[in-house]
Amino acid sequence: MMTRRVALVGCLVTGILVAARPSFEAGVSAAPYLQQTASEVTVNMPTGGKPPRVAIPAAIGLGADTELSAAAGVVLATLWADLNFEEEFDLVSRDAVAKLPVGDSLDTLPYDRLAELGADFVTFTRITRVETGFKVELQLIGVRGAAAKKIGFEGNYAACAIQTPRACAHLIADDMHKRVRHLDGLAQTRLAFTSDRDQERMTGRFVAGSQGKEIYIADYDGENQRRITANQSLNLAPSWGPDGRTLAYVSYVAQSPDIFVRDVFEARLPTRPAAGTTQMENTLPAFSPDGSKIAFSSTRAGNWDIWVVNRDGSGLRNLTNNSVGSVINNAPTWSPTGAQIAFTSNRTGSNQIYMMTAEGTGLEKLTSDPGVDRPTWSPAPYNDIAYTSGVQSGHDINLFDVSTRQVRVLTSGLGDNGSPTFAPNGRHIAFVTSRWGKDQVAIIDRKGNIQLKVTAQGANTFPNWSRTPRQ
Amino acid sequence: MSRMHASIATLLAAVAMTAACADATKPPVTQPPSAPPSAGSGGSGAGSTRPAGSGDITPPRPPDAPVVAVPSDPSISADPLAGQPPDVINKNSPLKPVFFAYDSDQLDDLGRQALTEDAQVLKKYPSWKISIEGHSDERGTAEYNLALGERRALSARSFLLSLGVTADRCSTVSYGKEFPFDPGHDETAWKNNRRAHLVVTANK
Repeated sequence: MMTRRVALVGCLVTGILVAARPSFEAGVSAAPYLQQTASEVTVNMPTGGKPPRVAIPAAIGLGADTELSAAAGVVLATLWADLNFEEEFDLVSRDAVAKLPVGDSLDTLPYDRLAELGADFVTFTRITRVETGFKVELQLIGVRGAAAKKIGFEGNYAACAIQTPRACAHLIADDMHKRVRHLDGLAQTRLAFTSDRDQERMTGRFVAGSQGKEIYIADYDGENQRRITANQSLNLAPSWGPDGRTLAYVSYVAQSPDIFVRDVFEARLPTRPAAGTTQMENTLPAFSPDGSKIAFSSTRAGNWDIWVVNRDGSGLRNLTNNSVGSVINNAPTWSPTGAQIAFTSNRTGSNQIYMMTAEGTGLEKLTSDPGVDRPTWSPAPYNDIAYTSGVQSGHDINLFDVSTRQVRVLTSGLGDNGSPTFAPNGRHIAFVTSRWGKDQVAIIDRKGNIQLKVTAQGANTFPNWSRTPRQ
Repeated sequence: MSRMHASIATLLAAVAMTAACADATKPPVTQPPSAPPSAGSGGSGAGSTRPAGSGDITPPRPPDAPVVAVPSDPSISADPLAGQPPDVINKNSPLKPVFFAYDSDQLDDLGRQALTEDAQVLKKYPSWKISIEGHSDERGTAEYNLALGERRALSARSFLLSLGVTADRCSTVSYGKEFPFDPGHDETAWKNNRRAHLVVTANK
């Protein structure tokens, strides 16, 4: 096993807390993400191979500060959940750790008891108040053998706020995944989706009693669900840009569906780069990996085609040039580098996945399923396409390996499953499932194990997974 | 007051005649374009049939009653739809929907017949503008059904245009499987949901 000493000096931006900004739509508030204070940090523990087994006891330094203690509890519980989700740290159960005596120095940690639990490392966490909120000083200490009592990892997080302990934990989890396991964590990512939970009277539709559906976002773990649109119309199919804060979505607020794009953390009106009118439908947008273009489905030329437009609305181009009315080309998704686009077409009689270059050349049929929909192409370093498979109710999520052309079934026939979206590190897929009753967003890993149920209120569809937001 | 009674009587008579003429071989008679049962909103979900004897409606005159002279002023009409806003017009379901086979956007004879009648209604009310909504049943995927719905709406629109309805009066929109008319999970419900649904959007 290799060990490395990594020293980072002053390479991160100054720690600031983003202040809350006024919202103009129901429920939208500021971007709650944090920046790390520059500090010297070390990693001196295994960074590859078997996940290290880690115990996370309660923090010290809290004194009689009940408010700080409560926040500290949330930080460490959330950190445990974030690490447990990714399965790159093997976590000792919280119940077992809760039974151990709390050590307030490196010498007084209960090493023998920790060794009995099979722990390789234990966190030693000091949480104290600072002027802007609180800071977390976290170390991973070796439990036994040559690593015993030695610091394997150290991180200082000085910009945590009492009101948002979860955000603090997510920052720490991403930092630990990055520096210890060389993995892009998901703790600060979000899901966007459509929800009918508000049941508000829909405007613009002359069928009595229509109720609209709005776009919501949530932390990847389902917390902090908040409404993004408030137009009492039908809003579908959000697609995040790579900055983790720009969101494209479909809205029927202008009668015909068109693509709207806005920053979810700023109070600015959306733009409409596909320039829809009542004479056409634009739908199912997909941001390119570099965020410069949006692929989408459109009937602007008369039939269903895959179109691409630049983010600023320039460069509108038709990639499929469909002259057959009954053929439906739909649901585009970009390859990891953005050089290719996969999409669905029923030109052979059933819906199958095709791929072509981002210029519309080199068309190739990929699947020969009974029927497919909503391909989603993984991010690098993976190169596979998750998609909905099946013809009638009881669809499953399949995984198509673009290199080997092999297909693997991920879900197991429980309920109706569809509309997959890859996590930005490619290790998980969020999707829609009816296995618990109404459509809900859930997350599976690449083996098909259900890891998380994201939504519970109303019916929730069309999920899309963001990257970690950039400032 | 008597004119209002005459209008309501005419409406009741028209509804009675329509019910009597219903053809058993047609696709399932659609609900009026009102809220599916799961909707919680209030009074706008009323259907077009009004129970006899409700409220202040008087029943039709017996057949041997003396005929009441109708005023000759042409601006006074017995037509309850004239000059009404779309919400009121649509409650009377004046335009028939068109139904489709699974995964199909093709019109059948019944569909063409319904659209032919719709074209006649649209000829009678030249001030009406309509939206043709394309819908699908729940079994297919959400994404494909968004596109299929548009194909169905266009199919109905093309036929209306071939009957002389002008293009500027008919817009289309697809709702895929997002707004089912029938919340059931059987073939009856699915058949009911695979439709092009016509609604009046303006009366100017």
